[in-house]
Amino acid sequence: MERVLTDFVKALRNANVRISPAETLDAMSVVNDVGYKDKELLKRTLSIVLPKTPEEKDKFDICFDSFFTDEIKESTDQSTPELNKTPTNTESNLAKTLLDGSQGEIMLAIADAAEESEIREIKYFTQRSVFTRRILEKMGIGQLEDEILQMGSQGEGDAPSELEKKLRTELTGLRERVSDYVQQQFLLHGDVSGEQLREQVFKSMNMAQIDRSYMQEVHSLVRRMAKRLANMHSRRKKNYRRGKLDIRKTLSDNWKNQGILFDLSWSYKKVDRPKILVVCDVSGSVGAYARFMLMFLFSLTEVVSKLRAFVFSSNLGEVTQDFKEANLEPAIEKALQKHGGGSTDYGQALSDFVSLCLDDIDKKTTVVILGDARNNFGPEKSHLMKLIFERAKQVYWLNPEGKYRWNTGDSVMTNYSAYCTKVFQCGTIDQLERVIATLLKTAI
Amino acid sequence: MNEGPQKLIDEITEGFSKHGYICSEQIATAVYLASQLEKPILIEGPPGVGKTELANTAALHFNQEIIRLQCYEGLDESKALYEWKYGKQILYTQILKEQMQEVLEGAKGLKESLSRLVDFEDIFFSEDFLETRPLLQALSTENGAVLLIDEVDKADEEFEALLLEILSEFQISIPELGVKKATVKPLVMLTSNNSREIGDALKRRCLHLYIPFPDANLEKQIVLARVPEIADSLRKQLVDFVQGIRELDLKKQPAISETIDWAKTLILLNSEELDVKLATDTLNVLLKHQQDIEVVAKEVPRLISDALGSSNGKSLN
Repeated sequence: MERVLTDFVKALRNANVRISPAETLDAMSVVNDVGYKDKELLKRTLSIVLPKTPEEKDKFDICFDSFFTDEIKESTDQSTPELNKTPTNTESNLAKTLLDGSQGEIMLAIADAAEESEIREIKYFTQRSVFTRRILEKMGIGQLEDEILQMGSQGEGDAPSELEKKLRTELTGLRERVSDYVQQQFLLHGDVSGEQLREQVFKSMNMAQIDRSYMQEVHSLVRRMAKRLANMHSRRKKNYRRGKLDIRKTLSDNWKNQGILFDLSWSYKKVDRPKILVVCDVSGSVGAYARFMLMFLFSLTEVVSKLRAFVFSSNLGEVTQDFKEANLEPAIEKALQKHGGGSTDYGQALSDFVSLCLDDIDKKTTVVILGDARNNFGPEKSHLMKLIFERAKQVYWLNPEGKYRWNTGDSVMTNYSAYCTKVFQCGTIDQLERVIATLLKTAI
Repeated sequence: MNEGPQKLIDEITEGFSKHGYICSEQIATAVYLASQLEKPILIEGPPGVGKTELANTAALHFNQEIIRLQCYEGLDESKALYEWKYGKQILYTQILKEQMQEVLEGAKGLKESLSRLVDFEDIFFSEDFLETRPLLQALSTENGAVLLIDEVDKADEEFEALLLEILSEFQISIPELGVKKATVKPLVMLTSNNSREIGDALKRRCLHLYIPFPDANLEKQIVLARVPEIADSLRKQLVDFVQGIRELDLKKQPAISETIDWAKTLILLNSEELDVKLATDTLNVLLKHQQDIEVVAKEVPRLISDALGSSNGKSLN
């Protein structure tokens, strides 16, 4: 029975629920107590022991339902005689099961054969057909096919017999069922490395090339990254506590030193959270990147509280509020609809930005600009950049284009980069992560 | 053996309801497991769903003392674990000065006086001079206790590390006195409003219970338990109305505590039936943000007709 539980834990881990060995041990002692009989009770208890966040609980529910439908049947139906072990030559056992057996028996036969073919080892989705074939063979599909062939050759020219027809349809049904079963098992057992592989690819792929249908997955990736970054840096902040001498606490703490002020306590004023202003280009020239930029911007507003987000193509507008209130998809759609797609005018955007929030820029502010600096040969107004640069703590420019393309055509990167603390190339999620890490490190 | 746990869980549900706390199966199971495995429970959920109340009720149910530690930023071990009573120590040394002289009298040389003094130090760092704070208190009660560590997410991350020893081993190491083990392991409940992610190390040591907003049925039972004088029809309408509000997009959803407050308000106003004016006038009991009130005020007529409709439908059945 312990095997069942460890398999379930494995399935959970595949679904991205983090479970430590200690928690597995807890689960085992719990299961010893409540047993497997009452499925509802089992689910309730395990959901208290294993998943540790609301999101994980949702995943747990799905996993449990798809995992234990089979498991429990398997373990309670153990008494039914083993099927399909030695197919006879006359009419194969498989044919008998298909024709006479109940649905449950067929499922059980599939599960048994799957167990023999070590379905639990399935890792990649490309292995599905291999496993399907293997299971079918274990169930004795070869004999069944032979039999059907024989029937066909006996009947020469005549319409196929009733039995043959029936067997054929049953066979197709069985194939489908097995392939469904394999698919389900794959979702449970496989894919850890597959998913990691996919994430790896996403991370190093140029953002413009990632298909939009992967939006969901990329978003969860980006969100995790943003969260990790924010967590990391919020912890870091603590090391920088300084402040005034806290006289009351110092006095009371130093009673033990006979009132000699030996251990000093500091009252730290809460460190002012950094202010980050992010300006994102969503014009036509960076259209492919805009979605991902906005996605990242969105995730960042979720985790960093003092962040203001602006988007522009020619005119600039603030989207902080929209991002805070709406969900990802509608928020991005709204931002793109309102400001996106037009032709770029950095000059106009900069003057809008300056008039909108120059007063808010101070020595603690970090300004981040996401864009390709392609200005359609319009006025650059780089003196505004200078103004921002002088007031802010730092100005970062993230350019999604490759370095070799900077300053070609209508790109005026150099003129702006003179007034940036640093300019990064930032075309892949990996690069983006690195840049944001630097940013948070220096901004806080 | 399989019947045992379910029976015990049912007993918990029943016992809790006697104290006016209606809990879902999930909650009862969590309490059962916590007492069975002797592990702390980390309770999460939106504010006002009865996380703290659960601990209070558990204490009543198990007939144990409740010891509560409210967490806040800057909470440290001298407030949570123990502290030496420095004032008392100094006072006593002053008073005992003469006795000390006596003890030291006749001692030859530094070495001998020192060895006599050594015994004294142990007296000053004994339990008499130890100020126990909630966590240590919880370990030293004789009948066991329910230890409620409230809003653990408000405390600093360093404080979590402090909790680890207590939560997994039920012991505290005091350098001067050695390790203090729990005589009876307390039932520990930690609550969190998720204002900060709780560390994995702490999570791993706890069972995890998420209390969501209750469904309509459970909420009706809860209102009945808490405000027994309310009329049946009003109770149904009120709960359906609140459930309707929770489907709207609000800054802060009304929780159970707000539903109960509202029920009490309606009773004070002697109302027997919910109507648009009454609901609009008393919305501020239910909602705590002006923006939310404005949003809901527009929806009140629809919500009312829904609530009235469903309760009428039920009475027909």
